[in-house]
Amino acid sequence: MNRNLFAAVFGILFSLGMQSQDINIVLKGKELFGNLKARQIGPALMSGRIIDLENHPTNSKVMYAGTAGGGVWKSENGGATFASVFDDHAQSIGVVAIDPSDPDNTVWVGTGEIWTRNSVSIGDGLYKSNDGGANWKKIGFENSERISSIEINPKNSNEVYVGVLGALWGDSEDRGVYKTIDGGKTWKKILYVNEKTGVNDLIMDPTDPNILYAAMWEFRRTAWGFNSGGPSSALYKSTDAGKTWNKIHNGFPKGDLGRFAIAIAPSNPKTVFAVVESKEDKGLYRSDDAGASWELLNGDFGLVVRPFYFSRLVVHPTNPNILVKGGLFGSISRDGGKTFKNLGNMHADIHDIVFDINNPDAMYVGTDGGVYRSWDGGATMDMVDNLPLSQFYHISVDNEEPYNVYGGLQDNGSWWGPSSSPGGIEARDWNRVGVGDGFRVLKHPTKNIIYSEMQGAQNVWRYNVDKNYTKSIQPLPIKGEADLRFNWNAPMAVSDHQPDRFYMGSQFLHVSNDMGDNWKKISPDLTTNDPAKQDKESGGISTDKSGAETHTTIFTIAESPIDEKVIWVGTDDGNVQVTQDGGKTWINTVANIQGLPKNTWVYHIEASSHKKGTAYAVFDGHASGDMNTYVYKTSDFGNTWKSISTDDIIGFARNIQEDYVNEDLLFLGTEFGLFITIDGGQNWSRFTNNMPATAVHFIDLQKKTNDLVMGTHGRGVIIIDDISPLRQINQEVLSKEVHFFDTKPSIIKEEGGFGGGSTELQFVGDNPGSNAKIIYYLKKRHTFGKMTLAIQDEQGNEIASLVPGKAKGINVVDWNFRRKGPKVAAGKTFTFGGFTAPRVAAGKYKVVLKKGKKQFESSITIKSDPTSLITEAERIAHQKTTKRLFDDMEDLAYLVYKIDQNIKKAEEVSKNDAASKKVATAVIDQLNALKETLVVTTGDNYVDEAEPQLREKLSELYAEVADQFEKPSLSQLENKEVFETMLNDAKAAYEKINSKQIAKLNRYLEKTGGSPLEILEKQKFLSK
Amino acid sequence: MNALKSILVAIILAISTSFYAQTADEVIDNYFENTGGKENWEKLEGLEMIGVMKMQGMEIPFEQLSTKDGKQVVTIEIQGNRMVWSAFNGETSWERNQMTMEAEKSNNEATENKKKQVKDFPDPLLNYKEKGYTVELIGKETVDGTETFKIKLTKDPILINGESKPNISHYYFDTENFVPIIVETEINEGPMKGQVVKSSISDYQEVNGVYFPFTISNQFQTMGFKEIKLNPEIDAAIFEFPEKIVETKKE
Repeated sequence: MNRNLFAAVFGILFSLGMQSQDINIVLKGKELFGNLKARQIGPALMSGRIIDLENHPTNSKVMYAGTAGGGVWKSENGGATFASVFDDHAQSIGVVAIDPSDPDNTVWVGTGEIWTRNSVSIGDGLYKSNDGGANWKKIGFENSERISSIEINPKNSNEVYVGVLGALWGDSEDRGVYKTIDGGKTWKKILYVNEKTGVNDLIMDPTDPNILYAAMWEFRRTAWGFNSGGPSSALYKSTDAGKTWNKIHNGFPKGDLGRFAIAIAPSNPKTVFAVVESKEDKGLYRSDDAGASWELLNGDFGLVVRPFYFSRLVVHPTNPNILVKGGLFGSISRDGGKTFKNLGNMHADIHDIVFDINNPDAMYVGTDGGVYRSWDGGATMDMVDNLPLSQFYHISVDNEEPYNVYGGLQDNGSWWGPSSSPGGIEARDWNRVGVGDGFRVLKHPTKNIIYSEMQGAQNVWRYNVDKNYTKSIQPLPIKGEADLRFNWNAPMAVSDHQPDRFYMGSQFLHVSNDMGDNWKKISPDLTTNDPAKQDKESGGISTDKSGAETHTTIFTIAESPIDEKVIWVGTDDGNVQVTQDGGKTWINTVANIQGLPKNTWVYHIEASSHKKGTAYAVFDGHASGDMNTYVYKTSDFGNTWKSISTDDIIGFARNIQEDYVNEDLLFLGTEFGLFITIDGGQNWSRFTNNMPATAVHFIDLQKKTNDLVMGTHGRGVIIIDDISPLRQINQEVLSKEVHFFDTKPSIIKEEGGFGGGSTELQFVGDNPGSNAKIIYYLKKRHTFGKMTLAIQDEQGNEIASLVPGKAKGINVVDWNFRRKGPKVAAGKTFTFGGFTAPRVAAGKYKVVLKKGKKQFESSITIKSDPTSLITEAERIAHQKTTKRLFDDMEDLAYLVYKIDQNIKKAEEVSKNDAASKKVATAVIDQLNALKETLVVTTGDNYVDEAEPQLREKLSELYAEVADQFEKPSLSQLENKEVFETMLNDAKAAYEKINSKQIAKLNRYLEKTGGSPLEILEKQKFLSK
Repeated sequence: MNALKSILVAIILAISTSFYAQTADEVIDNYFENTGGKENWEKLEGLEMIGVMKMQGMEIPFEQLSTKDGKQVVTIEIQGNRMVWSAFNGETSWERNQMTMEAEKSNNEATENKKKQVKDFPDPLLNYKEKGYTVELIGKETVDGTETFKIKLTKDPILINGESKPNISHYYFDTENFVPIIVETEINEGPMKGQVVKSSISDYQEVNGVYFPFTISNQFQTMGFKEIKLNPEIDAAIFEFPEKIVETKKE
């Protein structure tokens, strides 16, 4: 204890010492990024892989979905919509469990997906919420990697069993069944087999919490193969709350077994089902004596296919004869497991099923493509449309305005969609450009052509968008030469220098100068070509030949943006090859990298856009059990490499993006999110503003907008709009109280259209916003005293008052280019045109930030749309007429104000002084008659609307003109003349009343000693 | 069967019992101490807040009155028309229909939920225990670039579509000065159901010895106060539902 205290004190002193010596201001995370926020654009139309569905035991409206790479989502409306509740933690989920004794509040989440395909993400432990998912606490198991099961004693919330499947790519002792009796404070490992064998499922008898069944699975993946099964795979049972366990294999096949799927019939717990993976007699076994003996019922394809991917078996809560097995299509039996048929039509690859607690015909299904609902026992399936869980392997962007995002998805083909769309980015905005598993999708630099591919380059497509024409163009083996080995996620690249040039990597680098019509090899085999890593019979007990394990292949290709002859190639078996002569000679530079384990997968090479010899290489060793972060930089074509990874980074990395302007600004995508450095890798900060801790597989930076676009493997496309402020941060900026960043001129887009065809149950991605942005840094969060932000014209007149951001770090404030709206004449109802505020003209405006007594100034430049057809002269005419109509609106408002004031006064006088009645009534009657022609005085805002009067007509014209961009039409001008004549007539009429009836009343008041009416000056009224 | 023997290695977990310098109560006490002292807060009988609401490009002048016994009224001015927009007299809650501009009573659940919040005046955290509320220090978290104590406040459950729901909000207190700078609440209904609204609280200023935030801002709107009056004189009639007067003409 004392020693600990000493260490703590010493630590504090040490860190203080460091601070005083180190004058550099280093801001990390939110302190730096302030309110700079990411935007999630989905898409959700194909959704993503679901691992575990869990419903509330008594409230049929509440359910949770644990996903492959998108965290945990909760529905409170019976699965109609879901909301994410687990953004801050590992997004790969193994299991979600609701405490039956406290189902509204206590929820457990085991992280780490359990359907162990090649591309799975990892988890980082067990979590618990005591408030229905609002807050989560980590309960340990940091090294568990994958948690398959959580079973809670329904009579005692403190007694919980956790099944840990454990590491997929290496040995680990963090596996087995664990038990706590104190709600998770301490744990005991109560069943462990060996470092290769984990718990793939653990279930509890719903009527007797002492009875447990544990399926132990021996399994292992490498980068080039997968093994399911072995002598250690077995099914165990305990009847004494986990103290002792026995193998229950009476009736099971002999020999090595693989993964089990197990289920108890809740309405009859003696009936237990198990699907057994085996070379012989595989299939569904049934026991009616609680596991004492087993009988093989059925070995249909639907039950035994790919056990590593599909091992969920679910029995109906009230009918023991209905059971469902996850699988390629999902299988349902209504005769206790004797026969099965496929579930209804939905996305293939069914991972989990839950039945509704009240309606026996209703069920929910988790697939590779999201959650589906059925109300007729699984016959008809309806997809949940608001789960943006898309799992991108790769993304790219084009140079259109707005730019498009291209990318390929795990089991969901290839797509492209806009970064912005009227009404938001909807499902219908996305276009398909490939089937199967999608990976890299690239736009031709100049033509309306898209390249895409499916797994293992089985097809590489060149799609002509205009002609809707597709051609297969993959490089094919040539007679007499080696077979081609393509990675599952085969690399392709387009040239920055030659628009028709297109690269593909097998073990060779292939280049085509005619968009893939003809190919030539420009390299020897660049891999290790290690035959030991070319396993063609992957799978173990169930052979699984999908090509997903093809290894010793090229994985990344990077042509230098500066010199087309400089090409970098990285291979999945750890070679970093570079040519400086367009492929004539190649040098493998990986031996020059210090601290990197041999044969570590080169996930990405980024050729610098600043210097020809500079490149970044990101290595990922997770497929050999190495979870470290490896990021290196070379400035001399790979002769020397320097690590730019620090302890700030969490998770193994897959991708890096260099900024085009500031060489020290780098973006790194890891298994647990996005990390940013502004000092060339000395310090890294995790970006968490609306950015979940999801695996970032690929990053691109759009050159025109400076938008950072990320392809995540579980949360779709996530964009940080305009990262240019990060370029400008330096010590001088950080030491200032307030610093305005330079921004590009803002453009008033001269466009308008319609969008928004989605229902409230469909995901719609946010648009970037077309407003002007005022971006500044605050050294400290503003909390005390006034702070305002205003736009002024160059003369210092206030144009608009904005809501300032007050966060420490970067603040981004929007201005919609509009000045204040007009003061509107008061009537009985609203005039909707009166809510319109006019746009400002292009030009320079002052930005004035007041913080307490201090004032900080900057400026912002507004430009007209350069792509518009409207001329400058037209814009001037438009501004002029808008201004006139605006003034007319305010003139009318002032006139009505004067009328109202007089009426009010006259009414007051007449009420208090009977003798005044005659003079006062004359005023009231005259003015009311006039007012009725100016504003509506009856009716409502909807179908009882009164006949429009001058205010309504004028404001409609004003709004129409103010909102358009072109010069006012002749008919608008004529219309304006009509209203202005009416307005002038009304003013004259008022003056007449003023000089007669009102003057009479005033004279009367003077005579009787009453105070005459006070009417504000026009300017005062307008600024009131 | 060695492997099957219970392995008596208990995993001692570093569960979040990490030592915080503060408890939730200390944070809340500090907050009231730093904003005028609990006594002054307790003395408040009523508040009148006058300001401008900014939403969707509009600026709407408003006045909000609230009293210790839970009465509330919001008066706004749109296009020169000043009107009571919504009110609650402790029993009846109503708001103006935007089409007819007539007063309409709030649905029974909204009214019941309002009644439950009567004791929130002037701040739900003031003497929260007596109100039957609970607080929990969740931990330290950086929000708005600032290190804060995150405190969960659980008030009386509310009724949403016939179902009782926990009423949870999260307060983030600046560790430097102990005033809340962010409050998060969950949206219970509509298309954004389940999502969290983050209100940013700033521009604290002193009013007769008590500090109030003069700006409260979220993704939908910003309330900027120009003036806050403590214990104003109030005509109780303003909170009442305006019953329609049916004029009967005498024959």
